Amino acid sequence: MAGKFFSMRNLKFLLYEVFDCPALAGYDYYSQHNRKAVDMVLAAAAKMAGDLLWPILKEMDEHPPRLENGRVKVHADVKKILKEAGAGGWIGAHFPAELDGEQMPLMVGSAARFIFAAANYSGAVYADLCAGAAHLIAAFGSPRLIATYVPRMLSGSWQGTMALTEPQAGSSLSDIVTSAAPMGEGVYRIKGQKIFISAGDHDGAENVVHLMLAKIEGAPPGARGISLFVVPKKRPDASGYLADNDVTVTAVYHKLGYRGAPITELSMGEKNDCIGYLVGEPHQGLKYMFQMMNEARLGVGLGATAIASAAYYAALEYAKARTQGRKIHEKDPNLPQIPIIEHADVKRMLLFQRAVVEGSLALLLQCSLYADLEKITQGEEKERNHLLLELLTPVAKTYPSEMGILSVSAGLQCFGGYGYCDDFPLEQYYRDARIHPIHEGTTAIQGMDLLGRKVVMKDGQAFLLFAGEVDRVIQAAQDEPMLAPLSEKLREAMTRLQNVTLHLGRKARTEGVEPFLADAVLYLELFGIIVIAWQWLLQAQTARLALAKNCSQGEMNFYQGKLFACRYFFGYELPKTLGLAERLTAADNLTVEMPVNCFGD
Amino acid sequence: MEILVCVKRVPDTSENEISVAGDGKDIQRDDLVYSVNEWDNYAVEEAIQIVDRAGGNVTVVTVGGDDSEEILRREMAMGANNGILLKDDAFEGSDGKGIATILKAVAQKSKYDLILTGAQADAGAAQVGGMLAAMMDLPYASLVNKIEIIDDKKLKIGREIEGGNQEMNEINLPCVLSIQTGINEPRYVGIRGIRKVASVEIPTYGAGDLGLAASAVGVAGAKVKKIDYFVPVLGDGAEMLEGSNEEIIAKLIELLKAKGGLK
Repeated sequence: MAGKFFSMRNLKFLLYEVFDCPALAGYDYYSQHNRKAVDMVLAAAAKMAGDLLWPILKEMDEHPPRLENGRVKVHADVKKILKEAGAGGWIGAHFPAELDGEQMPLMVGSAARFIFAAANYSGAVYADLCAGAAHLIAAFGSPRLIATYVPRMLSGSWQGTMALTEPQAGSSLSDIVTSAAPMGEGVYRIKGQKIFISAGDHDGAENVVHLMLAKIEGAPPGARGISLFVVPKKRPDASGYLADNDVTVTAVYHKLGYRGAPITELSMGEKNDCIGYLVGEPHQGLKYMFQMMNEARLGVGLGATAIASAAYYAALEYAKARTQGRKIHEKDPNLPQIPIIEHADVKRMLLFQRAVVEGSLALLLQCSLYADLEKITQGEEKERNHLLLELLTPVAKTYPSEMGILSVSAGLQCFGGYGYCDDFPLEQYYRDARIHPIHEGTTAIQGMDLLGRKVVMKDGQAFLLFAGEVDRVIQAAQDEPMLAPLSEKLREAMTRLQNVTLHLGRKARTEGVEPFLADAVLYLELFGIIVIAWQWLLQAQTARLALAKNCSQGEMNFYQGKLFACRYFFGYELPKTLGLAERLTAADNLTVEMPVNCFGD
Repeated sequence: MEILVCVKRVPDTSENEISVAGDGKDIQRDDLVYSVNEWDNYAVEEAIQIVDRAGGNVTVVTVGGDDSEEILRREMAMGANNGILLKDDAFEGSDGKGIATILKAVAQKSKYDLILTGAQADAGAAQVGGMLAAMMDLPYASLVNKIEIIDDKKLKIGREIEGGNQEMNEINLPCVLSIQTGINEPRYVGIRGIRKVASVEIPTYGAGDLGLAASAVGVAGAKVKKIDYFVPVLGDGAEMLEGSNEEIIAKLIELLKAKGGLK
């Protein structure tokens, strides 16, 4: 059996048994994606991931992109990956048919992205970036921009990027200084510098199209003056000729992990000949960018979960094969050694990984389902799905990102010394996973987004909807003897979360915004644990129902495993909310109060 | 050119750990993940490429239950034009000759210029292509790894032979060829192809539709019966080295030194 990096059985359990994905085919928009189609899409993604991405995981890490004569050279297979992703419709999976897209539910697309990223995260991001950038043009660009750029980006022949960050403006985007001088008819002369641009240049694509934030000369200060532009590396003329557009790659970063994808530094307009094309209306750039952000942030959560999944299956295989020691009560040294999976602490580490991976994946598919339903429903129902997605997106980005690192670390620990060496992929996964709490908005940004915006928006309506969703699962579980104690624990945790939220609300009114948001990351952590507990109880309910029917021994093991993992989460992870709640309801504002000069020594 | 490609749904060895079932008559099939037989996938790709060059249609056919429909759909998503499922309780337990008998019946329902099979499938017998050709009195070549169209009457084909050598032959059409892996690089299935075939009706034929007597196929018609499945006992002189790569290497060096193979 080849290396396993994800579980198709678990993916199908979530898609079909927990979330009833095939029901989406009942809506006109998704009608072509019935159960048979979804089965084939999953199998096709697994085949491509196994044949195209997985075999070059290590090679891409060992031979990172390099800058040669102004061009970034990447692994030779990147071109093939992009071509296949385009030809197979993977880049255009969620685009509407009128843009030659596949109109596939995001839930199915997320499952496919998860498979690709589990095989090789770096190899998978090129296509994801094309889809995200093309989505921005399709949503807000002029028909001419759409016709010129979207088909080529969806085919994988032109790479797409998101160019936001500048040396002086990372998380603080309102401080960007890249300028755009009007030349008429939506055309601008661009000048400035961008840093940390993923796939900002490489020889696997014919052209690179940057979706770039810049300020039009004379624009209002701050975030209100930011506009969005298409800035290609090579600009096409009417005949299709690609002329150099004065976008220079000044550096490729040397990174801890995620080394198969180039992260670049770009300089625009060094020869005063960089042209940008305005997307939508002037000064609306940040708003446009953030309307697309949910999908990108779910993508980060998926990437984090995928790496943790690959690490888990590597650790599981090793734990079954590696023999060390004997049962703790067994003193006879003549007895053969036992596989380490039989040791309780190794089981604990494996259960922790499974709890994180399968809990996170459930949440990401749940969010994808809200996105799918938002697209096809109307009125109140649409608003409901929109608000739930808005509220849960920072959690779905952050919980897998932060906990994914700990999960991979537990996987590495299962290998002992070998985990720390490059004979096994764990050390690479550990390095690769570290990017996720940083990109697409750091954990601090996500914490402030959740507590400062999402929880309080529309008078807390999103939070109330979420509480209703959790309560629905609690109600359904409380009549089931095995699940009733767990549902009670989740009810208590929800009460804890509501109390903390009310306490912080009072703090905002009485002490101001800084004390209110000072521990927003801890609030996000508390929120995240409860959200994942909700998803685990939902999975446990489904497993209980399945066990009540006739199933094979293999299926029985699968569902029983789900129940153990759920119990693990409620027994080992959910209690962490007690400590977090204590800190979050403390009277003092320690971090706000501590003067900077006390950090001297 | 009208091409019929015979395909089979087999356990996916990249997804499963294969073990012998308790009764020793088969492998353990509960919870196995299945996919299209790898050799057959190459055969379908070759057929699509021939049709791309010479025109015509590719029809994929399989003998199996309802689950086997998924591999027909997969190969149609890849580019085959039609699929046919041959399903009947009477077909269960067919040996190689029985399968060839069923395939012959369906092949004779239409006029095919070329019939392709994979070189072998999960049973490893590599027999169906040859039997089918003999039953239909058609020329046959096995282990084919190259096909060139000479004209509408003849093909030039390469066969993989002993020692990695290549043999080139001319063969008259219609004929049956069994296809070796490596003849091409099968294309990936994409979402677009899947959407096109997810809801198409796939015709199903049973023994009656094919004019077959139940006694000629299935368990009743089988002349070869599996009587035992087992993992061979390790013989003397064979030792499986286990552990990490480093541990295996260390043990191997130790053994080579001990037995004088390495000074």
